[in-house]
Parts: sequence; structure tokens; C-alpha cells
Amino acid sequence: MNSFQKFTLSTLVISTLFSACKKDDDVVVQPVKSETVKDLPADPTTSVGANGQPTSTGKYTFFSFKNGIVASTDSASLKWDIGFKATTIITNGGTSGSGQAAAVVLNGIFNEITEVPASATFAQDSKTAFAVPTGSGNGWYSYANGIISPTAGKVILIKTAEGKYAKVEILSYYKGAPTTPAATDAARYYTFRYVYQPEASTKFN
Amino acid sequence: MTVRNKSYKLNLEGIFKDNFNIFIETYIINKILFRKLRPEKGCSLSTRLMKGLISLLLIFWTLNMFGQQKHVVNDSLKTSNLNEVVVTATRNERALNAVPMPVTLIGQKQIRAMGSLRLSEVLAEQTGLFIVNDHGQGIQIQGFNPDYTLILLDGEPLVGRTAGTLELSRLAVANIKQIEIVKGPSSSLYGSEALAGVVNIITERPSGTKGSFSARYGTNQTSDLAGNLSMKTKKSGFNLFLNRYASGGYDFTPETFGATVSPFQNYTITPKFTYDFSKNISLNISTRYNIENQQSSLLVGSDQIAGTGSVKDWNINPNLRIAFNQNLKAVFRFYNTHYKTNSELLYQKDNNVYDATYFSQTFQRPEIQVDYALGKKQFLTLGGGKIWESVEATRYDDTKRFETNYGFFQYENLLVKALNLTVGGRFDAHSAYKAQFSPKVSVAYDLSKKVRLNGSVGVGFKAPDFRQLYLNFTNAVAGYSVFGTQEVALNLARLQAENQISEVLFDVTKLGELKAESSLAYNFGGKIDLDNGLKIKVNTFRNDISNLIQTQAVALKTNGQSVFSYMNLTKAFTQGIELDASYTIANQQSPITLSAGYQFLEAKDKEVVDKIEKGELFRRDPETLITERVKASDYEGLFNRSRHSANFKVFYENTKNGLTASLRGIYRSRYGFADYNGNGIADVDNEFVKGYVTWNISASKTFKEQFRVQAGIDNALGYTDTKNIPNLAGRLIWLSVGINLEKHKITEQ
Repeated sequence: MNSFQKFTLSTLVISTLFSACKKDDDVVVQPVKSETVKDLPADPTTSVGANGQPTSTGKYTFFSFKNGIVASTDSASLKWDIGFKATTIITNGGTSGSGQAAAVVLNGIFNEITEVPASATFAQDSKTAFAVPTGSGNGWYSYANGIISPTAGKVILIKTAEGKYAKVEILSYYKGAPTTPAATDAARYYTFRYVYQPEASTKFN
Repeated sequence: MTVRNKSYKLNLEGIFKDNFNIFIETYIINKILFRKLRPEKGCSLSTRLMKGLISLLLIFWTLNMFGQQKHVVNDSLKTSNLNEVVVTATRNERALNAVPMPVTLIGQKQIRAMGSLRLSEVLAEQTGLFIVNDHGQGIQIQGFNPDYTLILLDGEPLVGRTAGTLELSRLAVANIKQIEIVKGPSSSLYGSEALAGVVNIITERPSGTKGSFSARYGTNQTSDLAGNLSMKTKKSGFNLFLNRYASGGYDFTPETFGATVSPFQNYTITPKFTYDFSKNISLNISTRYNIENQQSSLLVGSDQIAGTGSVKDWNINPNLRIAFNQNLKAVFRFYNTHYKTNSELLYQKDNNVYDATYFSQTFQRPEIQVDYALGKKQFLTLGGGKIWESVEATRYDDTKRFETNYGFFQYENLLVKALNLTVGGRFDAHSAYKAQFSPKVSVAYDLSKKVRLNGSVGVGFKAPDFRQLYLNFTNAVAGYSVFGTQEVALNLARLQAENQISEVLFDVTKLGELKAESSLAYNFGGKIDLDNGLKIKVNTFRNDISNLIQTQAVALKTNGQSVFSYMNLTKAFTQGIELDASYTIANQQSPITLSAGYQFLEAKDKEVVDKIEKGELFRRDPETLITERVKASDYEGLFNRSRHSANFKVFYENTKNGLTASLRGIYRSRYGFADYNGNGIADVDNEFVKGYVTWNISASKTFKEQFRVQAGIDNALGYTDTKNIPNLAGRLIWLSVGINLEKHKITEQ
């Protein structure tokens, strides 16, 4: 970056700041968006193969905190933030997408996490690991006796494709969020709650 | 459930012949004779060896009998008034009242009065003990899983554990003289596995010439036939115990394929031989052969699967005792045992093999023990030996072997009046893990003639087992793999080369060498023995356990399943108090004994306790889906531990009429069973099994001192919890008949 570029960049920033100040009165600060998504399909099983292994389409369901479920044709765009396929959650960044998305899994209670902690170390999807770790007991769920149980006290902080923040708590992996899921219940249906901060802020309220 | 042969009636001779013809062709109760042992076509080498051995023993004994028949001494009457003597606590015969550690003694009389058939039934009724069902019926002592209690048969360890549990129903009780249970670590004398305690089953020794036979039949087509023959001359003795125990099993869910408990038939034969070369030198050879055939059926997905399995164990245990003089004695033992299982499960639709496995374990141990008395108040015990162990199984690459060299000492000091100080320790040098030293100090002090205090501090350990080091297992149906720590690196590399691994989760080089699980334990208590027949016993205990071995996921497979290995991870503690009180309403002819026991137990994972303290353990309400922190009061402890347990028993005896009766109630409070909310612990109501009581009753009548009829109802109120406690069958009604013959009585008539 040469000095001219630096100059233009800083001018730009300064002018933006000033203009933002001036326009303060007519810009409405968007409130945080808080929602619970029910039964988001994440590549549900379509049939059982000859070897007893389930078969499915193998496609991710893409989700935008701003707009909800996004058509898979937009997978190469910034229109989605996170994608779900079975127990795997990808984020629109790193090796998974063209956005800035990253994630970190925190221990804590959803409502008590009111802002992104300074200590949180976000990671992007890479060749060796996803930002939301996979595997029982590693990320958001544990697997025992044929049941996937979302681990209580796991809150996923997401940096969206556009660099905004959201917090997510996954509540169920089964259709209708049954209180005691059975191995025969329809799996790969996410119920989760999230809070999305549409402004450039690390706060969730 | 399989409908069994309807002709299963009490035709004793018929049943007996049918089921024992493998071993015996002719058997006559009154004058028990073995004519010949018929060699079976295609029987295994071991069976033939066993038969050969029995034949040899019989010939030897017969020769001796002919030479010495006139000198038969019946000593059965002499033993009646002796004090209760135990051997397990100190590896020496000591009065129960004199040993400074907590010991429970269950005598033959009590076992008979209960009408129990298997060891598991007897132990289930004792204060502080629970039967745990995990790949078999094992025993929980002071809150420890069955893996941590050593089971001895006449002082020698039984082998053959499945997932850590030694199936206690492998052991018949009809030939048991007494059962001794030492609580608290006993690794200072017995080495590995004696972490929670030791259960030693002492079987009858040849005494007099006598025979007994009993037959029992009850609910679920459960039958038991037992024969015991004992012969004794001045120098030699022989004892033969035969048992057949079988059940048709039962099914709580008849609408689905597969029984809750499958049918099985169990046979035990234990010949024992003693020979006194002189007053000071005696030889004792105990042998045992046990086989259980099982028919199992289960539903996997929609596939019906059925098959058969067998579990065998046999051993030979010669020991030679030499008394060099009054103060110096030595015992040489050479114990050999073998445990073997086979199972083959087939798809019912096409008879293809679903699973075929075998497991074979051997254990050999020569041992020397020397006991030296320094006067009348100091006793020294020194011993040492070597153990060879091997395992060969479907789930292991090749034959795996362990070797252990060990030595132990014990010093008992009674020099100070009213004080018993016992110090001991044992050193185990093992081929596959770090050497262990296990010391123990026990003290007893008589406050008065009626009140005694005792306390002990000791270290116990459990060596990593073959499975934790060498297992190589992949579940064909579920697709996960488990490797022992010695196998994991190699197999993980192989799976990676085969592109079966999607992600390595744990650096296997960090698993390190498995260390033995160990505990530091404190026991403190006392007993009060009042003249009016009231006895009270108290023991408090605390065990701090470290290096508990747990499974650790090390990699993810491309099929979504995990690869597991083992790691020293958790620290845990167990603590509690145990109370026993008994009161005998003294009456020469018909004493009534009332007894009650209670245990308070806390057994917790220290890591979980820490997490709760730091507010890092959570749970989610499945209805509201709200997450909250788990409070300290929500954590009741490890799975399968009841905080409260109690028993209440009444034993009645009328010697004049030959009547006995008993009523026993066993209670355990609720205990954690499952983790439905995924936080690793039982903390909400639906994760607990409800507390319950079972009542057992029995009564017997003896006629003409020889014939005995006994009837009973186990679980008289028929309590069941079919979902959570499948092994608690409902009400079991049974009837047994028995005959006792003693030579001197016959000749007197």
C-alpha cells in the first residue's frame, strides 16, 4: 500500500464517519433479530441403502440470519451464512465459501452471552477442520445409543458472510424436537435459536 | 421365548443321567461308585485331561480307602463350637473378631436357610453390596464397579471377565463352607483387582464319609441338581461336588423376537483331594470344571438373530503345606486356570453368520508363602510368586501375554495389650506397565471386652487389562472401532492408508503408557458385642481413586463413526458409612435372629464436581428447551450407585422340629441409569431408576435328620421394572428336596 492509497483510504473513512454523523437522525438502528428456527431439514435420509447405510441427496441447506433458508443455487454467493448437512455445520468462509464467515463454540448459557467476548478466537473452515468441530463431544452434540443430542451449554458464535455477528444454540436434531428422541425418529431436522446483530456491533442486545 | 421340553418333571434319576452322562455313566446315591469314565467321541483335550485326572484321583483314593477303612474318623461333630475363623483378611487363619479390617462372613447355615443357588444371590443380600448387570452379574463394593473386586475361589483368583465383570452366577453355592468378604483395598496381599475388596469363596474340604443330594425346581423352568460326596480316611480325603443348574429364561417383551434372559444350562464338577503325608506335611489338590451353554436370540434392526454360546472355566490347584516346626510353616501353590468362551450367532432368514467369536484366557501362578511366628504375639508372613497370563481371541491380533513377578509381606503385632497392629505390603513388577507397591496398615484396639475400634489405610490398584492394551475390535454393524493403547497407532495408520479416517481428533502419541488405576483408602469403624445378644458393627470409608481408565475418541471415520482407545483420565471418590446390627432372641431350641443393615454411599467423579462448582456443567429442559446450570445438589453421583440401601432379615430355627424359616427384605434407593440430556451425568428424574424393595422368603423342614424339604419365594411381591432392570425377574417360586447321608449315622442304626 503506497502513501497515496493510504491517504485516499483514510479520507474515505473520515468522510464516511462524518457523513454518518450528519445522517444520524434519519438512520434507524436496526434491532437485533431473535428467532427460533424449527425443523430446518439438513439433508434428511431419503431411503436406506442395501448395506443398511442411509442414503440422501448429500446437499447442504443454506441459511442466512437475515433472510432465512437460501436456495442452494446461491451457494457461491454471500447470500448465506451457515450450511447444514446431517451433523456437519459449515460457515460461508475459508474453504467453504467466499464470505468472511467464521465461528467459535463457547461454553455458557445463551441468554448470558450478551456480546462477543474479546477472548473469543474465531476460526474459519479449513481443509483439516470445520470452524464448528464435528464428532461426538467435540462441537455441539454428543452421540450415544444411536441418538444425537445437542450438548447443553454450547453456544456457537458466528461471524456472518458479511462480517456481522450472531449467536446460535442448537436445541434438537429430530423433527418436532421430541422430548425424548428415539433412534427411529426422523433425524437431521434442526431446531435452533439465534440472535443476529445486523449492525456492526459485537453486542447481542 | 422358547417353549421347553414339557417332560421336565422331577424324575431325578432320569434328569441326572441325561445331563451328567458326559462325565458319569452310573451314579448311585447311597454307595456312590464310579465304575468307569466313558470317553466321549470328539470331546476336547481339556475334558479328557479332566476325566483322566478324576480317574487317577479316584483310583488313588480307592486304594487308600481299602487300606485304611477301619480307621475312619468322623470329625464333623468337633467343628460345631469353634469360633468363626476367616483366612482372607491376613492370608492366615484368624478369628473373625480378631482381624483389624472390615470382614463380612457368610456361613453355610445362612446360605442354606436362604435357599440360594448362586453366589450372586447370596451377595445381593449383604449390606453395602449390589449386583451390577453389565455383561454379567458382578458385585459393587463401596461404590466400585465389579472390575475392582477380586473374586477368589479357595484363595485363588477366578479369571474370565467380560467388560470387567466376572459373572458371579458361574459359581454354585451348594458346596460352599463360607464366603468371606474383605472390604477396602487388599492389594497389599493380593495385588491387582483387589481395589474395592476381595470376595473369597471357601469350599468344603473332605470331612468324614458322607453324601448329599438335592434337587430343586421353580419358576421359569429353573432347576438345580447338586450332589456332594465326601470321604475321609486317616490320611486321605476326597470330595466331589456335582451340579447342574439350568433355566428356561424369560421374556418381558414376548411381542418382539428375542428373550430378556435366554435359556442356559450350567454344569459344575469340582473334585478335591487331600493327603496327609505326615502330621506336618499335607497335600491338597482342588480342581474345578464349569461349563455353561447358552441359547440366545436377539433382534438387530429387523433381522432375527439366534445362536448358541458356551462359557467354560476349569482349574487345577495343587498345594503343599509343610510345618517345619511349631513356628515355621510354608505353603507351595501352583494354580492353573483357563477360561474359554465361544459364540456363534446366525441370521435366521438365511443362516449366514452374524457374529462368531471366541475368547480364551489362561492364568498360571506358582507361589510360596511362609508364615513365621515370633513367639505368641508377633507373626510374619512372607510370600512371592510369578504369574503368566495370556489371552487369545477373535478381537486380538495374536496371543497376548503378561508376566508378573511379585513379593509380599505382612507383620502382625499383638505386643501391646488390647492392640493389634498389622502392617503389610506387596510389590508387583509387571511386563506391560509400571511396577506397583501397595502398602497397608491396619490397627484394632479393644476399648473394653465389648467394644472394639479398628481402622486401616491402604493402597489398592488394578492393572490395565488385556482389552485396554491390546483390543482390536470393529463393530461390523455400527461401524465404530476400539483399539487398545498398544494397538491404536498402528491401526489408525492402517485406517488412514485405507482412506477410512476423515479426521484425527487426538494425537495418539499423547495417549502415553497406560498406568494402573489406583486408590488410597481409609476405613474406620468398630463393633459392639453385648451380652444380651445385640451386635453392632460400623464402618466408614473413603476411597480416592486416580488414573481411572476411560475410553477416548481419537479419530473420526468417513462413515461418521469414531475410533476409540483408552486413556487414564478421571479421578473419582467414593465414601460412605455402613451399619450392621443383629440381635438374637436367645432360646436354646428355637433362636430367632433379627438383623438389619444400612449403607450410605456417595460416589462421584471429581471432574464433574469441579465443573459444577465452576458453573460449567449444563442441562437443557427437553420441554422448554431452556438451558440451565447443573447445581451441586442435582448431582447424586456416578451411574448405578444408590445413595441409601438397607436390608432387614429374620432367621428362625427350631432344632427340635427341624424347622428353619427366613424373611429377607432388600432395599436400594434410586440410582442413575441413563443420560438422556447429553451432559454425561444422571441429574433429572427420568434418568434414574426408582428405588425398590424385594422380599424373599423361605422355609425348610428336616425329617429324620436326613431328608430335607425346602420351599421359598424370591421377590415375593413380584416387583419388576422391565425397562430398566431386565435382570430382576418377577416372583420366583421354588421347591427343593434333599437327602443327607453320613457314614457314622448309618452304621449306628
